Amino acid sequence: MVAAFELLLIGFVLVSALAALALEDVLASVIAFAAYSLGISLLWIVLQAPDVALTEAAVGTGVMTILFLVTLARTVRPQTDRLFEPINLRTVLLVVVFVGVLAVSVPALPAIGDPTAPVVSYEVTQHYLENAHDETGVYNAVTAVLAAYRGFDTLGEAVVVLTAGVVVFVTLRREVFV
Amino acid sequence: MPRSLRCDGGRDDESVDAGFDSDAESASEPESDSVSSAAANRSRELDDTYIESTIIMATVRVVAPFVMTFGLFVTLHGADSPGGGFQGGVVLASVLIMIAFAYGTAPTRDWIDPNAIGALIGGGVLLFAAIGLGALALGGNFLEYLAYGGSTTSKYAIELVELGIGMTVVGIVTSIFFILSRGFDVAVEEGGDSE
Repeated sequence: MVAAFELLLIGFVLVSALAALALEDVLASVIAFAAYSLGISLLWIVLQAPDVALTEAAVGTGVMTILFLVTLARTVRPQTDRLFEPINLRTVLLVVVFVGVLAVSVPALPAIGDPTAPVVSYEVTQHYLENAHDETGVYNAVTAVLAAYRGFDTLGEAVVVLTAGVVVFVTLRREVFV
Repeated sequence: MPRSLRCDGGRDDESVDAGFDSDAESASEPESDSVSSAAANRSRELDDTYIESTIIMATVRVVAPFVMTFGLFVTLHGADSPGGGFQGGVVLASVLIMIAFAYGTAPTRDWIDPNAIGALIGGGVLLFAAIGLGALALGGNFLEYLAYGGSTTSKYAIELVELGIGMTVVGIVTSIFFILSRGFDVAVEEGGDSE
């Protein structure tokens, strides 16, 4: 049963990604991209990564779609007379070759949840999993790594978010924050 | 009447009056505050994507407090369950975006205090950095929460850090949405930028 659900999800993600590429109308492409983002966040849950799934659902499906739609409303939505874009065969060949080269590395990855995988049996991971609660007081090992063991990176991420906002601000030549 | 400057002249007056308070105020006193109502109408001119809908307004009025509570829940429970500052901050920002959907972007922009948004953005990163520097002042390393006390104090420091990240994300997402929705029109910039 689980395998059928995963196959269905992968099929949905592939179809919506291809739709986002191939549709000519920009609005339809943005909505297909939102569907793709929702499928990816469900995939993250299947891969047992709930923090990433929450972030993908909130930022990808929610805020990014809204910002795309707002940008479309403030700029031009070009007139379209056909449903699908014309496909350039040379570009398709290049993309297929690129994906093929990346796909060669997929059989080398360990199975999901494999206890002998290098990322799990590595001693730093074992230290985090065993001592996260005693040293930092939190039960969520992901938050312990993000906020305590590697807190400096998270400070950098917060500053990156701040910088992104300032860049939008400066590019659109605004003087107030709203 | 200022409303005649609107680019979509086909709307009823009373259906718009039911929407938001500031419009009712400018309708009742057209001459007294002509400068500020002219500025408000200028920003309302650009809001030609607003569609009035009673269902959306009623739904947002009911749902917004619960979404805000959920956003705070996700931010503060990042310590013990999946979540954290980034996710909770985006959910909290979506409350303000929902209000902009229901009542129009221009009146929501007039209602939000830009200094409060600026305080959220800067205050979040400053809170995070202050917790790190405080650990340095107490003799530990930068961002070493154990310098504040035991592991329970470390958990409180982590939750404060998540709250700081959440504050910055709320401010930035709200700010980007409203700045993008104002658009970039050079003619309006030169003629009407009164800031």
